Amino acid sequence: MTPPDPGNQISADEPLDDLDLELLDAIRDMFQAADPMPADLPQRIRFSLTLRGLEIEVARLTAEDDRPVLAARGTEQSRTITFDSDSLTIMIRIDVNRDGTARVDGWLAPPQRREIEMKTGVDELTAASDEQGRFAFASVPRGTAQLVVRPGEQGLSGSGPSVVTPALIL
Amino acid sequence: MDDREPAAVRAGKTDRGTRMASLVTAARQGNDDAMGEIVTELTPLLWHVARAVGLSPGDAEDVLQTVWMRLLSHLDDIHDSAALSGWLAVTTRREAWRVHAKERAQVPADEELFAALPDQAPGSEEQVIVDEQHRVLWAAVGQLSRRCQELLRMVAFAPRPDYAAVAAKLGMPVGSIGPTRGRCLAKLRALLAHDPEWSPR
Repeated sequence: MTPPDPGNQISADEPLDDLDLELLDAIRDMFQAADPMPADLPQRIRFSLTLRGLEIEVARLTAEDDRPVLAARGTEQSRTITFDSDSLTIMIRIDVNRDGTARVDGWLAPPQRREIEMKTGVDELTAASDEQGRFAFASVPRGTAQLVVRPGEQGLSGSGPSVVTPALIL
Repeated sequence: MDDREPAAVRAGKTDRGTRMASLVTAARQGNDDAMGEIVTELTPLLWHVARAVGLSPGDAEDVLQTVWMRLLSHLDDIHDSAALSGWLAVTTRREAWRVHAKERAQVPADEELFAALPDQAPGSEEQVIVDEQHRVLWAAVGQLSRRCQELLRMVAFAPRPDYAAVAAKLGMPVGSIGPTRGRCLAKLRALLAHDPEWSPR
């Protein structure tokens, strides 16, 4: 390897050399140590990607509000999360049941009747929203979960493509 | 083949390129395992892109989920490894900027990127920076402009064969004959060349 020559200007336009690559490796190692990616992150992302073949609209998380509330097992969080996609806003409130499962109450805006799926690590739960756009999952296993609002069908008040949220931790 | 390309970049370019291209093809046909391998391979790059922009770990994770889901509808336009890494990196940065701009009003500025610098947080990260050369390098990186710190952090995680594509997508100029050093690496090397504690092996 050629050490940098302090007498010479180090040109930005030269091709990368071995020292550059070594520096990049060292920078990578340092950030890997100082701010490691959560080890299970790729696994959580894989979970949210098994929706192939659907015409999907991705809803972004746009607001989250955590509030400690008194619950059976001490202080628990009641969370309100809002997701926005091009056609739909999905707002959910997550509370913890006495048995440790989660209760999810949701609202769709604009209000409409849709079929809604809750994918969890264990199985898929389904619910339907009413004309006011309200839906509820009374008992959801804690852990990773993802909401899928199914395409509206003719005859129902809603229409439009599937809308999926990012995976979230209940 | 370009002789001026460093051996480390040239080596494995073909193998990895072929493997990634076939993973993309399989993923496009609905193969979840292929998609999973792509996710495993490229999520570390995207994590550091999102974190370099200044997102909290939670926001970074949300952004990554969104970006990977959006990739599903773009797979038809992506045919090789370099295009894949480049698209993911630039889309992640754009999405991270969007989220960060919204958060900035609520979060004290500048607590993020180099908060982990040993100088600024004595003790907490000292164990991490075990190697003396790394400490010197870390300090030098900390003297670069914020934009250079961000860029170097991002491109350092690009798979080497895709380095040029990722660097170009993120706005580092790339020469006609392959990846060039660029302003930020040149500046870093100049800083190190003047540091008596720095001795490249």
